[in-house]
Amino acid sequence: MKFSKRGAALVATGVAGAMVLSACGGGSSDSGSSGGGSGRVIVGESADFPENLFPLISAGNVTSVANIEAQLFPSAFDVKPDFSVEYNQDLLTEEPTLDVTDGVQTNVYTINPDAVWSDGEPITAEDFIFSWQLQRSSDPADGGCAALLNTTGYSSIASVEGSGDDDKTVTVTYTTPYADWQGLWSGSSNPVFPSHVLKAASPEAQCEATTAGWPIADGIPQDISGGPWQIKKDNIDVGSQIVTLTPNENWYGEPTGLAQLVIQNIGSDPTTAVQGIQNQEVGVIYPQPQLDLVGQVADLAPEVDSSISFGLSFEHLDFNTTDPLLADPVVRQAFGMALDRQEIVDQTVGQFSSDAQVLDNRIYVNNQPQYVDNAPDEYKTQNTAQAKSLLEGAGYVLGSDGIYAKDGQRLSFQIDTTANNPLRETTVNVMIPQLKEAGIEATFNANPDIFAGPEKPTSLIAGGFQIALFAWVASPFITSNESIYQQVTGDNVGQNYSRLGTPEIDALFDELVAQPDPDQAADLANQIDVLLWDQMATIPLYQKPTFLAWNSSTENVEDNASQSGPLWNSSTWTTSQ
Amino acid sequence: MFFFTIRRIVASVLVLLASSFLVFVLCAASFDPLAKYYSRNPQPPPEFFDQLRTQLGLDDNFFVRYWHWLSSALTGDFGQTIGGTAVTDQLWGRLWVTGRMIFFAVVIAVVLAILVGVVGAVRQYKPSDYAFTFLAYLLIALPTFWFAALLKEFVAGGINDAFGRQVLYTLGEESPGISSYGTPSEIFWDRLGHLVLPTICLALLSFAAWSRFQRSAMLDVLGSDYMRLARAKGLTYRRTVMKHGLRNALIPLTTVVALGIGTLFGGAIITEQVFVWHGMGEYLLKNGIGQNDINVVLGWLLISAVFVVLFNLVADVLYAVLDPRIRLA
Repeated sequence: MKFSKRGAALVATGVAGAMVLSACGGGSSDSGSSGGGSGRVIVGESADFPENLFPLISAGNVTSVANIEAQLFPSAFDVKPDFSVEYNQDLLTEEPTLDVTDGVQTNVYTINPDAVWSDGEPITAEDFIFSWQLQRSSDPADGGCAALLNTTGYSSIASVEGSGDDDKTVTVTYTTPYADWQGLWSGSSNPVFPSHVLKAASPEAQCEATTAGWPIADGIPQDISGGPWQIKKDNIDVGSQIVTLTPNENWYGEPTGLAQLVIQNIGSDPTTAVQGIQNQEVGVIYPQPQLDLVGQVADLAPEVDSSISFGLSFEHLDFNTTDPLLADPVVRQAFGMALDRQEIVDQTVGQFSSDAQVLDNRIYVNNQPQYVDNAPDEYKTQNTAQAKSLLEGAGYVLGSDGIYAKDGQRLSFQIDTTANNPLRETTVNVMIPQLKEAGIEATFNANPDIFAGPEKPTSLIAGGFQIALFAWVASPFITSNESIYQQVTGDNVGQNYSRLGTPEIDALFDELVAQPDPDQAADLANQIDVLLWDQMATIPLYQKPTFLAWNSSTENVEDNASQSGPLWNSSTWTTSQ
Repeated sequence: MFFFTIRRIVASVLVLLASSFLVFVLCAASFDPLAKYYSRNPQPPPEFFDQLRTQLGLDDNFFVRYWHWLSSALTGDFGQTIGGTAVTDQLWGRLWVTGRMIFFAVVIAVVLAILVGVVGAVRQYKPSDYAFTFLAYLLIALPTFWFAALLKEFVAGGINDAFGRQVLYTLGEESPGISSYGTPSEIFWDRLGHLVLPTICLALLSFAAWSRFQRSAMLDVLGSDYMRLARAKGLTYRRTVMKHGLRNALIPLTTVVALGIGTLFGGAIITEQVFVWHGMGEYLLKNGIGQNDINVVLGWLLISAVFVVLFNLVADVLYAVLDPRIRLA
């Protein structure tokens, strides 16, 4: 009898404990799902859960925030899945105009008369003016804010003025013409911000607010939104790392197809993502593609659909031209000729999709409308014989070990890349025998400091490497390439880790940056790429794939492998579940 | 006992100080929180780097940095993350998640370990002993991530298929947003469904090793003189084993379990990762080491170390409860 009492007490304690522990999780409460369609879709987010939702500062300028805010704030232009740039027909009534007269660039934006913020306040030129002032300078002495990640473009603006009925016409005048004007007030990391909610009393107070940003536990100030979705503070569950988006009741465009879009952090493990969608715990996943994962998801058809796209991120080689061997252009050219880049593609990203291609341009990727194959013929296919004859013509002699040497220096290179990246390791391992055929020795080196600062001697910026394999992210807005390819001045290498440049390339970039006509800018960019092939300080290899899988009961899901991300059109999603 | 406890606490504080300094040295030497910004395109302006260096105190002398951290930590302020969030705020949330995950696992593991250990010892070299030994070594040999993946793939999949609906879950602590639309009973079952697999995973893997300790301790005790004396005095075998044998054999297990629980509070790193529970282990790996965030690593270290120390003290107290000779000493 005594034992049974104890047993009963134990059982009671256990059950009570279970109830307490099960019931006491951090939870979201009000979901406020009125004003939109029906059903909910859970997106399994692989990127780290953000600490801050303000996209202009480092803590908020991350992939997960870009996805959460993909359709939260008004954007003048959007990047479509084919990487074309189109004006936002919800926010603007017509395509913004471009005028360059006497070297002065002027753009005029006409805001939709119906466009309002979620609190009912109209979206006006004042919001454009505020967003410009917010981002025009990093210098506190100039009324700017050092916490800003980027001021490019906004710092070239002379004035932003409002006019017309209800202040709905915005006229932007630049101090110097700016090529990427379509990238301003555009995209989830750089949208139009609400002046009436965010404007502070002084530049100092504004900078203080910018530096603090929007800590995720506090949500977005006043739950403000200007897009189809809204995030209410109550719908952010920091403990469980879940953000629930609900329709913006004052949204002036097409209503959302869903009543809720739930973004749940599921970590970066692709297996977890696949098991999650298999078990129907998440409806959409966007993991890093891996071969076995793609196969597993394919096996889930027809319940699960998937697509592989090729995004703006591309792999390339950077030669450090301060290296005594790589300073010789002949060596760099021979290296390029020795590579069979098609074979590299076939052994790496080609495993994911037969659409994978060799990348022959450094400014544009294969599926951008402006892409031109600028590679000279000698680099299009493996050209071992020409590589050898080039080296021999420059005085290199083939040694008994099968490696060329000159003045006692063997053509032996270390290719540095990031640690724990199987795709890059495979890339280098495919290169090594190809180079060996041409009498060039190469070794693989996983360098944990490759992206570190100048104080780490083997970092890219410190120059303690010979050849590096890493990715750059292309963009429809191309002026950011300038820092990668312009000549190095003094100690400031910018992002030109090859440390090579020419006055001609610099001059073309000067022209490009000030060319607001997109077609002419693309022509200049391709001229630059032709010169970069001549210089041969970098070799583009291939675009990296992205992988999107979704429950087939969800309609209208489409990958956008640009900075717009997979949730770019989530307001149009519908579900039959 | 009181002075003993005080002595242990003082010694623990010194250990915490030394370990925090050591970890600070390692992190300061290897972390570069600015690294991820150098490769951004376009690269942030110089003012951004200057501001971040100042904010993170990277321009300060190493000892000044450590003193700043230590003096704040003593007041319960573990500083801010690189992203500007208070580490203290994040730590409590993470600790609560981990605590909920490991509570039942530890209870189940301890009960199972004692049962299996005692049965194995009492029925040494019988089929049941061989069976439990085989099971224990199998579980010890299984890598956690693989065992967890098996549970997700086959147990969750199988049970859900058998029931024709979602009973067991593989991601997180609850279905997203269920607290906004579910009834209390739906919320309860949903959270229980999320709790089952990580609990089984942790419980079985912990139980396996602990049961071996219990069996070994029990075998030692069963062969001792006082057990024979108790039997000679006429006590039943069951009473001898339960009253005199088990009580003494629990002492070694107490040490192992206490250390195990203390360590688990630092995060059941792999289990959290596989079942997507955002607890202490994930906090160390992703937010600390992954982000090169020294304040996160040190905050984690201090809290984890406190739990190890705390459970060591609990073990000391339990020794006294289990063995009156320790109390008298």
